[in-house]
Amino acid sequence: MDNLSLWLLFFAAGLGTFLIRLSFIQLHASSAALIERSKPILALLPPGILAALCMPGIVFTRPTNEYQIDPLQILAALVTILIAKYSSSVFWPVVGGMLCLWLLRAYG
Amino acid sequence: MASHRQAFWFGVRDLLPLVSGVLPFGLIAGATGVSMGMTPEMIMGMTVLFFAGSAQLAAYSLIQDNAPFIIIVFTVLVINLRFVIYSASFAPLLGPLKKRYRLPLTFMLSDQVYGLCSMPEQQAKSKGERVFYLAGVAISMALSWFISVALGVALGASIPASWSLEFTIPLAFLAMLVTTITNRRLFLVACISALCAIAFQLLPYNIGFIAAVVAGVSCGLLLPNLLQKRVGKHG
Repeated sequence: MDNLSLWLLFFAAGLGTFLIRLSFIQLHASSAALIERSKPILALLPPGILAALCMPGIVFTRPTNEYQIDPLQILAALVTILIAKYSSSVFWPVVGGMLCLWLLRAYG
Repeated sequence: MASHRQAFWFGVRDLLPLVSGVLPFGLIAGATGVSMGMTPEMIMGMTVLFFAGSAQLAAYSLIQDNAPFIIIVFTVLVINLRFVIYSASFAPLLGPLKKRYRLPLTFMLSDQVYGLCSMPEQQAKSKGERVFYLAGVAISMALSWFISVALGVALGASIPASWSLEFTIPLAFLAMLVTTITNRRLFLVACISALCAIAFQLLPYNIGFIAAVVAGVSCGLLLPNLLQKRVGKHG
């Protein structure tokens, strides 16, 4: 692809992405009733989204174009879950998980 | 006003630990662009216009495969469809704002903003404080993303892959996930969504992500009611 079509591609994709982000926010006035009715659904979304975002990256090694399960990553994730249960920040669970992964890779 | 300023800086503070996950992702995004022979201006232009890391990485691989223009745009938009959900979640908060605040904040919505701003302790705060907190998270997230990609462009491919720094991204989302689960119904949603995300991993265009969220949330809505009815019949 030449540079001009690449720039066109970036603008098209960027504009589309912005419109997706804007969709409900812009419609707010007319969609207030809809949002009110979907409150029970919205409350369930955070765990659903976060689980779907993180699980494939934890269970499978990159590149994720084939099922390649990585037990060390899963163990590291368990350490992260344990620390996250007792700490309200995100920092320490991530540090603990990464240290666990590095130790397991070095001595496992 | 003092509490608003404080909320802004709380947002910046809470985003800082996530930089450890953003940085490697940005380094990868920058270095990949360099390895494809793109100029630094193009890579940074793409980064600012997209402001979506996983879509950017997907676009790279499609550009390399010489995929048609329309297919690349379509793929990017499908991967970014999750922002519809974020848009709906933040509509009550951002919708009433003036255009000059609403549009930039909307542009900067991201997974990290959603993760931090939908934590239970934030939802208990006043609207003003939540907007300023969101602004703090969003602005520091945007800056750290742009700087990370620029570093990736500068460093190229000289970061050892064996550090697996990109693994901090799923770990950070996992830690947020643990704090959002405050009852059994939410735990059920997370389990179903996680299982589906793993099972649907091979579906093209990131459809698996949307499918997993839909499956998790529908089960969370329907299953507890079904179980209650059955218990009611027996009892």
